[in-house]
Amino acid sequence: MIELNVNGRKHRVDADPDTPLLWVLRDTLDLKGTKYGCGIAQCGACTILMDGVAQRACVLPLAAVGAARITTIEGLPDKNGKLHRLQQAWIDHQVPQCGYCQAGQIMQAASLLAENPRPSDADIDAAMAGNLCRCGTYVRIRAAIKQAAGLSPRRAVAAARPPEGDAR
Amino acid sequence: MNKPLSRRQFVAGSGALVVALSVGPRTPAFAQGTTSPAKLTAFLEIGADSFVKLWSPTTEMGQGTHTGHAIIIAEELGIPMSRIRVETANPAPPFRRGTAMSSGGSWGVRAWHAPLRKAAAQAREMLLAEMAERNALPLAELDIVNGVVVRGGQPLAPIGLLAAGAAARPLPENPPLRPASGRMLAGTDVARLDIPAKVRGEPVFCFDMAVPGMVHACARLSPVFGGELLDLDEASALAVKGVLQVVALPGGAAVVATSTWAAMRGAEALKIRFKPTPHDRLDSAAISAGMREALGSDTAARARNDGDMDAALADAARTVEADYEVPYLAHTPLEPWNAIVRFNEGGTLEAWAPTQAQDRLLGAITAASGLSADKITIHTTLLGGGFGRRLRDVEGIRDAVLTARAVGKPVRFFWQREDEIGQGWYRPAQAARMKAALAADGSVTGLWVRTAGPSMVMDFAAPATPIKEGELDGSSVQSLRDTRYKPPAYRLDYVMKRYPVPTAPWRAVGSTQNGYFIECFLDEVAKAAGKDPLALRRSLLAHDPRALKVLDVVAEKSGWGTALPRGRARGIAYVESYGSLCAEVAEVSLVRGRPRVHRVVVALDCGSIVSRDGVLSQIEGGVVQGLSAALGEAVEIEGGAAANRNLDSYQLLRMPDAPTRIEAHIIESGEPMGGVGEPPLPPIAPAVANALFALTGKPIRSLPILKSPDFARG
Repeated sequence: MIELNVNGRKHRVDADPDTPLLWVLRDTLDLKGTKYGCGIAQCGACTILMDGVAQRACVLPLAAVGAARITTIEGLPDKNGKLHRLQQAWIDHQVPQCGYCQAGQIMQAASLLAENPRPSDADIDAAMAGNLCRCGTYVRIRAAIKQAAGLSPRRAVAAARPPEGDAR
Repeated sequence: MNKPLSRRQFVAGSGALVVALSVGPRTPAFAQGTTSPAKLTAFLEIGADSFVKLWSPTTEMGQGTHTGHAIIIAEELGIPMSRIRVETANPAPPFRRGTAMSSGGSWGVRAWHAPLRKAAAQAREMLLAEMAERNALPLAELDIVNGVVVRGGQPLAPIGLLAAGAAARPLPENPPLRPASGRMLAGTDVARLDIPAKVRGEPVFCFDMAVPGMVHACARLSPVFGGELLDLDEASALAVKGVLQVVALPGGAAVVATSTWAAMRGAEALKIRFKPTPHDRLDSAAISAGMREALGSDTAARARNDGDMDAALADAARTVEADYEVPYLAHTPLEPWNAIVRFNEGGTLEAWAPTQAQDRLLGAITAASGLSADKITIHTTLLGGGFGRRLRDVEGIRDAVLTARAVGKPVRFFWQREDEIGQGWYRPAQAARMKAALAADGSVTGLWVRTAGPSMVMDFAAPATPIKEGELDGSSVQSLRDTRYKPPAYRLDYVMKRYPVPTAPWRAVGSTQNGYFIECFLDEVAKAAGKDPLALRRSLLAHDPRALKVLDVVAEKSGWGTALPRGRARGIAYVESYGSLCAEVAEVSLVRGRPRVHRVVVALDCGSIVSRDGVLSQIEGGVVQGLSAALGEAVEIEGGAAANRNLDSYQLLRMPDAPTRIEAHIIESGEPMGGVGEPPLPPIAPAVANALFALTGKPIRSLPILKSPDFARG
């Protein structure tokens, strides 16, 4: 049995030490927010935080996790269920399309802001380069990260916002 | 067409199980089975709690049609967006467009806004009639506002109280529609219904779902296209802890295990051999050579022959000629193919699948299971990307059914990334030979476009192909056959050259390559004629005010013709597809030899819109996905198989290469509603290539751009 600390809770799991954390999260702990995309740490859909730092769970063996604090997308809201400011920014900017990569994007962004609270545009691009989005939401991801970092005002998406910038 | 069935004819698409799978924190009570919703039309159910369930005829794969449909229902019925829940319907006549239920061709809103608006109006009339009759009130004075029946501004009753009675009333044939002025949501920014669950990481995708007693089956398939199983050594996989069984399949095997990871390990350990194929040595170089040879063919299938092209060439003051080529492209939805199949007691089957094509899936399930269609229920999940790939999962669902039958338990059958890319069904490779005849004043007197390469239509529709070998494939001349450009002479033809690499629609389909061919060639023509690229296009569209407006908007908003910082250039392109006209201007520079797109300005005339932010989102996504293909994507064929089978070698665009800004300008011309999911994609490749042509003086005649030694890869 291996002991894991996931989202502030201790779990004892029966798995080989070389099992990637991704599959323990998904299949054993039923935390399905962390995704399988490529299995070789190229897409970032499986990004989680290990002691606050982004890691690719698909290539992270249990043996390497030890007593580290693991945070998944399910653990990002606060104890009352209030969304993390990044999650709220993702809603405000209506970032996701298919959404499959977005938990990984948000976790990567959380790691970035923890290390660099006021990232430049180049910092954002560099930090997020390992997270693929096939739907092409990169421009909105950048904007949402800036909002969450307090670098831009909150975007309001609500019914009946007057159109702007169209050529009508 | 699309006439809703009466509710008695309609077979409900949702069993109790899918409900259990999709329970979210805000699932309405009726979905949990505590109250029974009343079905007012095929599309709409209303619970006693006044929540409305919308059975959408479309798959939600990120393009936003479920929210678009909900907007239409909300404003026509008179309910708040927060009271609508949307799911994809099980295939049945009301949900078919033509003969099949499927989500492609950017049809999701343009085909369904009228039937859905009618369905909402029908439901409203039935609810109001029920209220009027029950309480002896004048029908004409009643309306529904915010989910409540009102008279003279006074709230009388929530619609939930009337739903059961209303459902027993006759369906009105021609219900009055609210006037356009009373539509409070259409054309505005409305938050998408599916986004909160997605940012919380809730289990909304097929890969996240499970049914009781389910086992996991990982595919191990022939990497060579169409390869068949020769033999396998079961013991090699069974030696892996957790592996339960190996199931032989036509193209390989499924390794069944107690967990996803054990199934993957078992598939890797499995010793398996495949039969040789005639194309075991096929490679990209041979395909390219074959297509280029076909460009010179004596015979071709002709699509257009306006004016006298031969005379135009003979009389030309000068001619411009160039050959172009594009590679195969993989869709790479980030969620790899997977499906859950369960044979139920009583001889029925349920499948949970991320499909864009419910009826094609149904046909494949009936063929593989031997069950008739009425015994089968398809639960379409939210998709982790589609882009056309999920229009064609015939083998994927067949193998899931065969595995579930062999195992005798519910099975999740899945592909690893390598098969998601490597099993094919790509945007076809294609080549083009372009010729233009110019008069002495530089005006275009003739244009001849010949395309050559695989026939997507023959591959995709096989065996029931609507065309024969050598005939015209509409997708290979898409956006060229119906172009608004009107040179005095115009010839368009196509030479079919097929390969055993299976092809399928890929977001924007033939318009992806054809938009690139013609729009880049027009810049070569403009340069030869000494004309501005915008002016050349305007001259070819002088007869068409709608197209000119799109060009003029993009020109004005992009500052076309104004000075740019040194080392930066603009490129323009205009492509019409799926009923919408789209022009884009890209501002590009080279940063240490690598193309950098600073700004993309888009003008899209899609007639009219439902969700403004939804349109903007699709424009941005189309630009980025089109740029991804233009810069880095190509499936390399080696040994009859895809050589680059994972995301380390199949190069998708990453954030540092995404445009710094994308500025979209929607033109609501009032023309019939066009598509939005695909039309913004085709112009970006030629816009960027034309900007690079302007920067370097060298035309870009093949994609992807970063494959050229002229540019730095990274």
